[in-house]
Amino acid sequence: MSAGSFGFGRRVAPTAIILAAGLVLLYVFLYAPILYVVYTSFATDVVWPFPLDFTLTAYEDLFASSLYGEALSNSLKLAFGSAVISTFLAAGGAIAVLRYRSRRRGLVMFLFIAPLFVADLLIGISILAFNARVLGLPGNLVSAMAANAVQGTAFGFLIILAQLVRYNWSMDDAAMVFGAGPLRCFAEITLPTIWPSLFGAFLIAFILAFNNLEITFYNLGAIPTLPSVAWGSLRFGLGPELFALAALVNAFVFAIFAAMYGLMKTGLVKFGYRGQ
Amino acid sequence: MSGLRSGKRLHPELRFLGLAGPGAAFIVISLLLPLLSIVVFSFWRTESYELYADWNLDNYRTLLGEAAYRTFFLRSLVTAAIVTAICLVCGWPVAYFIARWGGRYRLLLVLLLAAPFFTGAILRITALQGLLGPIGLVNMTLVELGLPPIEALMYTQLASGLGLVYLFISFMVTAIYLSLVNFNFELLEVAKINGAKPWRAFIEITWPLNWIGTAIGIVLVFIPCLANVVTPRFLGGPDATSFGMSLSQQFGETGTWALGSAMGVFLFLASFAVILAIWPTIKLKRSGFTGAVQQ
Amino acid sequence: MPNAALELDSVTRRFGPVIAVDRISLAIEQDEFFALLGPSGSGKTTMLRLIAGLEQPDEGQVRIAGEVVTDLPPYRRGVGMVFQNFLLFPHKTVAENIVFPLRMQKMDRAQQQKQLGWILELLHLQGLEARYPNELSGGQQQRVALARGLISRPALLLLDEPLANLDRELRSEMEVEIRRYQKELKIPFVYVTHNQEEALTMSDRIAVMRNGRFEQIGAKTEIYTNPASAFVAAFVGHANRLDGQLSEIDGGLARMNWAGGQLLVPRPADAKSGDRVRYFIKHEDLEVTAAGLNGGGLNGHVANDINQVSGTLRDIIFKGQTANYIITLPQGTDLVVSDTPRTITLKPSDPVIVRWPAGSGACFAAEGA
Repeated sequence: MSAGSFGFGRRVAPTAIILAAGLVLLYVFLYAPILYVVYTSFATDVVWPFPLDFTLTAYEDLFASSLYGEALSNSLKLAFGSAVISTFLAAGGAIAVLRYRSRRRGLVMFLFIAPLFVADLLIGISILAFNARVLGLPGNLVSAMAANAVQGTAFGFLIILAQLVRYNWSMDDAAMVFGAGPLRCFAEITLPTIWPSLFGAFLIAFILAFNNLEITFYNLGAIPTLPSVAWGSLRFGLGPELFALAALVNAFVFAIFAAMYGLMKTGLVKFGYRGQ
Repeated sequence: MSGLRSGKRLHPELRFLGLAGPGAAFIVISLLLPLLSIVVFSFWRTESYELYADWNLDNYRTLLGEAAYRTFFLRSLVTAAIVTAICLVCGWPVAYFIARWGGRYRLLLVLLLAAPFFTGAILRITALQGLLGPIGLVNMTLVELGLPPIEALMYTQLASGLGLVYLFISFMVTAIYLSLVNFNFELLEVAKINGAKPWRAFIEITWPLNWIGTAIGIVLVFIPCLANVVTPRFLGGPDATSFGMSLSQQFGETGTWALGSAMGVFLFLASFAVILAIWPTIKLKRSGFTGAVQQ
Repeated sequence: MPNAALELDSVTRRFGPVIAVDRISLAIEQDEFFALLGPSGSGKTTMLRLIAGLEQPDEGQVRIAGEVVTDLPPYRRGVGMVFQNFLLFPHKTVAENIVFPLRMQKMDRAQQQKQLGWILELLHLQGLEARYPNELSGGQQQRVALARGLISRPALLLLDEPLANLDRELRSEMEVEIRRYQKELKIPFVYVTHNQEEALTMSDRIAVMRNGRFEQIGAKTEIYTNPASAFVAAFVGHANRLDGQLSEIDGGLARMNWAGGQLLVPRPADAKSGDRVRYFIKHEDLEVTAAGLNGGGLNGHVANDINQVSGTLRDIIFKGQTANYIITLPQGTDLVVSDTPRTITLKPSDPVIVRWPAGSGACFAAEGA
């Protein structure tokens, strides 16, 4: 009944091996279509790209066309703005709830989590209806940012809350006893400890807004973003340029991951990991 | 964050409001008021793309009376329930592995779950179709080999469900993971010493102590699945029209905002019913939540 | 002859290059209170985890009540355990926590309740059944953890620094109680601690651990009065340490050159004249008197089988029943003498003489010399 034993003193629980296999399978499932996108971006025929008829036309067309550049830039602006708003609001909410024993804690938690219980589509149409018919505002980048930040705030709140539940606030008290003002204390004590969770919240809010179709679609009017261009071009079949653009975005994301992996492996930056 | 500004000392309640107030106000303005406005519009009337404040119940009558809407709704409901169950069963082991054995690479492993989102739902669904669809890699290879293609994957409910699992399983894994990173795995050793076999220790200790995170995962998958537009439209074929698709048409092609608002209210009530069903199972004391405030 | 409650047979556990437990053999009797004493990193907790089945040995065998359990998982070993941070299940009430082991054994409900009533009474936990762990004080949590460990009357109870998180007063109260439960229930206890006072108060037998090995194992009085190594002498009890050089060996005793004088010390094993040695003498074995009364003034003088040194009283640390007299010797080292505070009336900066019987204490060849 001895656990699977490899050589001297090194044991790997059989459960761990089975679960690792599950993890790998999930990654295969998640990434097979992504690999397909990258592969197809080099093909002449995006509908049936087998065998590969290698070409870079899609990339040339991508850089020649102004539409995709504009869409990408809008998506980045939208995602960045929305992520900044979300992270600020979520961090404030999470710190307040964890730190102060207010009677309004329950209400605040309810408000911050509420967007999770409302579907994208519903957020999109209700903000559209509210802005257009109640406030009489047209859709623009700012209103789309705000609309996307609703969900981003909720996700960010949840992420920061989960990570900060165990943060020891008496460290801040200690800093104040030694003469650090509240802002100084936040910058020197709190922030260095909690930044990975703020980063996580920012990242999730960014990803959500970058790719959101439904909320953005109803609140941006005619301004193109990547998802709305994709949506718009669907009726004629997706353009090869979209595959090329997605391939480039993925290349960028994975370059960042590779850098993170390097930093984690050498232990230069721990991203909040403090051992188990 | 005016509550943190140095200078004269602020009452804790004011600091609390200074920190949480902006976010709370933002949610009220950007979520609650818009939702309230569609509740109001759902009792109005649309005529040639214009809303008229002409209070009536016609939209709800249409919604409950026409069989098509009932079908759409039930279809979405059943699909969402099944997809959520699949995500739960497949997501738990993966989240558990990352939290327990991910070590210093935990964050990277979780980010790898989120990275596919950068490709965008539409492109991902198209790519999934390219792999599994009627003229996709899998089926065409089967045909090449002289085997029958898997028809279940061609514009069916199954294909649509698979697409939804593909889009939303990461939410489930992340929610459970966030709960598990705060779980004290030593409690499992205690359970084992006291005679609990591994599966028993899971049922007695791990599951109840991570139920809140799991419930959040369930909500995060169920609600967008219930309202999903893109997946059934591209993967589901002609018989897969979902409630979300029909709803988005009211605000797009047909311009019947009042009926759309009523559908939105309906969707919201359905989501709310799910939350009400889960709510009684959330017992803070039973979750091991100790209250994080130290004063 | 009945089997020993627990036997370890040359058990070894490595973590990479580190040998946490190194060929340990041990037998614990049926009604014994056994303490594993050692500094952190000595391997004592790993040993406890090996016994519990939370770790598996690389080599060797573990037997509980005569049965080989080396390959059995923890849930088949029938031992109880109490943890340092209690590790109560936060989502279960006190009663649910305590009956957990019985439920795992599929004991019938009526019997469970009977046992629960018995243990609640034994540990004075009546009235707390419906509380959750986070609604209890540290001492109450400790009792619940103990109740959970004892309710099934396990073949063996393992305790991993269970008192480390309690305050001093509560700790000494619990020390007495835990020993009482062990004697009443006649369940063998294996108690891991780095606190020598706990080990000395509670246990029958002590093993002092260091770097994965036993430095000494024996009855607690034996460990206290007759340490087998410099490490044990320094770790158990409170001793003054004097470093010197042997000058002359005379039967069981030896003369040690120290600070310009000589002291009569027990002869270290395998020592010869000229070896550098380390001599330990416990605080309470010394006696302090005012210098004027006996006319002494010689430093490091042996007279009438008494070792005697003179110095200046620097401070008195009052501890209640005893007081520690800190004496600075002319060459700068400090000696600590523990004595009843009423016996003498001394004040700081008085000249004093410290005496102790020649040949008492313990002396060992200096390590690494």
